Amino acid sequence: MEGAEISPEDFAKYTGVAGSPKLSPTPLDRDALRRFVQAIMDRDPLYYDEAHAKGTKYGGLVAPPLYPVHAFRTPPDGPDPLDALRYNPDADGSAGNDGVYFGLEPIRSPFKRLLNGGNEIEFYRCLAVGERCVAKARYADVRLKQGKSGAILLVTIETEFRSENGELLVINRQTLIWR
Amino acid sequence: MTEIHIDDIEPGSCIGTLDKGVVTTSHIMRWSAAVENFHRIHYDYRFATDHDKLPDVLINGSWKQHVLVQLVKDSLGPGGWLWKIKFRYRKMDVAGDSIRARAEVVDKQIVEGMGFVTLRVVLTDQNDQISTAGYAVGVLPVRGGAPVPYPFVAKPEYSVVQLPADD
Repeated sequence: MEGAEISPEDFAKYTGVAGSPKLSPTPLDRDALRRFVQAIMDRDPLYYDEAHAKGTKYGGLVAPPLYPVHAFRTPPDGPDPLDALRYNPDADGSAGNDGVYFGLEPIRSPFKRLLNGGNEIEFYRCLAVGERCVAKARYADVRLKQGKSGAILLVTIETEFRSENGELLVINRQTLIWR
Repeated sequence: MTEIHIDDIEPGSCIGTLDKGVVTTSHIMRWSAAVENFHRIHYDYRFATDHDKLPDVLINGSWKQHVLVQLVKDSLGPGGWLWKIKFRYRKMDVAGDSIRARAEVVDKQIVEGMGFVTLRVVLTDQNDQISTAGYAVGVLPVRGGAPVPYPFVAKPEYSVVQLPADD
């Protein structure tokens, strides 16, 4: 698509397209949870004190509400996200931003610069220690718009995160702005 | 932590603050490692400034969103539930910035015996400049009423509770 004329029809076809469900490679374990809550600097005992957590409505240790979006780490037999840096000194290290797409095919476009346009999130329950989660993403809205300094592509990805037995955890609607 | 009821909530009041202090390159590195986000704009100063023309390495937006979520979760207490949140990133935060968050009550209502509080949530830096802003809806019990269910179930009647439109 590089250098080609683009029109709204090139992108409207993506709206509604869904990816295949993606299962987190490992169950939530206490050590990953420890590192995560230390990194967000949240000392809620719900995340590490089993006796305390058992006495709460959660019934046991759980992850912070928005943890499921980070549960999809590289599996040990998966491609190394840092491989690109060996061959391309300008590679950004993101390995294609798969943390955004959750199994969706990225949209082909001539736009190079990606901005996070914000999120709208609904929470229903937390992922518990020992659980894996399933992400299912779809393009909720894909629109080409004329901005002040040229065309921009607005992409809203809606991702549902559920437990393996289908209980709804989180719905994350993320808007990406391509320039 | 104290149980909070919708009866205790006053529109216009500040319901909670959260101060994360100075976020250094070490804090950013710890977050990037914890979530395996290897984008170089967060830890490689030369890449961030020379290649991407940024003023410094950036504090991750993915980290900042957890600050807002924690702010609301803590503000609602153990009997509350953060149902919805939305936010937009207004400016970049870079290594060395001090990150604080606050939540103010915009509105409250009771629907089908359950309390709903609408909050304005913002993340600011050491100069009180807003870097991230949005709204949240929290669920709180009515004093003497039923507890907020967990897992939370959004009854059809609750659809009258909407996040405010963007600023």
